[in-house]
Amino acid sequence: MELLIKNLPFILQGIGMTLSLALATLFFSTLIAFMLGTLATLRFAWLRIAVKIYVELFRDIPLIVNIFFVFFVAPLFGLELSPFAAVTVGLSLWGSANGTEIVRAGLNAVPKHQWQSAAALGLKGWEVYLFIAGPQALRSILPPFVGLLTLLVQATSLGALVGVTEFFKVGQIIVERTTMMEGWNPAFTVYGAVLLIYFIICSTLSGFGRWLERRLKADRSRVAPGTSVVEQPVTQLP
Amino acid sequence: MEFDFGYLAAQWPALMRGLWLTIQVSALSIVLSIAVGLCGAAVRVLQVPVLDKVVVGYVEVIRNTPLLAQLFFIFYGLPGLGLRLSLFWSGVLSLTLWAGAYQIENIRGGLETVGKGLREAAFSLGLSPWRFFRLVAAPMAVRVGLPSMLNTSISLLKNSSYLQAIGLAELTFVAIDRISMDFRTIEMFAAICVIYLALVLTLSFFASRLEYRLNTPFRT
Repeated sequence: MELLIKNLPFILQGIGMTLSLALATLFFSTLIAFMLGTLATLRFAWLRIAVKIYVELFRDIPLIVNIFFVFFVAPLFGLELSPFAAVTVGLSLWGSANGTEIVRAGLNAVPKHQWQSAAALGLKGWEVYLFIAGPQALRSILPPFVGLLTLLVQATSLGALVGVTEFFKVGQIIVERTTMMEGWNPAFTVYGAVLLIYFIICSTLSGFGRWLERRLKADRSRVAPGTSVVEQPVTQLP
Repeated sequence: MEFDFGYLAAQWPALMRGLWLTIQVSALSIVLSIAVGLCGAAVRVLQVPVLDKVVVGYVEVIRNTPLLAQLFFIFYGLPGLGLRLSLFWSGVLSLTLWAGAYQIENIRGGLETVGKGLREAAFSLGLSPWRFFRLVAAPMAVRVGLPSMLNTSISLLKNSSYLQAIGLAELTFVAIDRISMDFRTIEMFAAICVIYLALVLTLSFFASRLEYRLNTPFRT
């Protein structure tokens, strides 16, 4: 406890670093995920295959290897990345691969008749995406994206391995410092506290995700209770 | 810098030793985590009074904390309680606990598809809860939950690379270790990326085969 109070500014700094790392990664992941996810729903087979390769590549290689790869290999190509940048790039590659799958699945879940009706009404391709499919897909995309954010927050702890002073690294440093300067090992307490704080952050986020999921699902039925509306399949229209 | 195959050939035995350790840790943890998953899911589904809440808490904690922090807690923290595990067993324990939580959810998801009717039918036929679980629920649940169970197992294999952080000489550790000595960065990363990809793709290939086989009685 005393340890906690003494190190409070340091700990808060670490949490700040963790959150900014997570947000930076979320930003880039979302950007890439929406681009690639949309591309994967287009008609061109080679595009789908290219996106598939990207997704599989970064999902199948362990995240740690991915981060180390960016960290060690970028300098060889004359790119001096700071640890923060290296981790952001590594995590974004991984996060965007996961996000792409979410976006693709969300767009594919939009019923086919919506696309067809939009096309029949003379909307252009981009208009269908922007005004018809996009908003509907967003409902199934958002909750898993919040889940992805919690995974990203957890994954930022890997930054500690390449020397970003984020929250987990702060815990490590406190343990080392106390062991060396005061001669006792607070690992149990400190790592316990680290787990607790990650738990608080992430369970808040996943609670928000669950709430969002319920909320978006509830909105879908805009029908007064008691009345039932059966959506007629397109094929049965005269 | 040229891509040096000779260097890779020279380091091959070391990499293979790392790979062997990766496989050992992963295989052991996968088996144990499925056992954890089965027990936990049984507790959840049969609604055992207090244990039920414990399992829910366990799953939430594991899913909402980073594996790296869990690993450090187990390896560096538990000795504070007098529980000192070797590198290998710390790794197995943390991977098992991590994947076990996901397996509980996977299996529970499968079990939920086993309808209430079947359960009542089984009980009225005089099956004990255990026999209902073993003979009726588990075989059906495993089929439904299998894809996600296999996914978790594959994730576990990938996440065994976390163990390099505590210094277990598995594949990633060997590679990073060599890189910091010889600076043949590209060669090493190419090698381990290919090895991991091969492992994961082989596993997912067998996973899809297995899924196909198990679904045979249900295919129309």
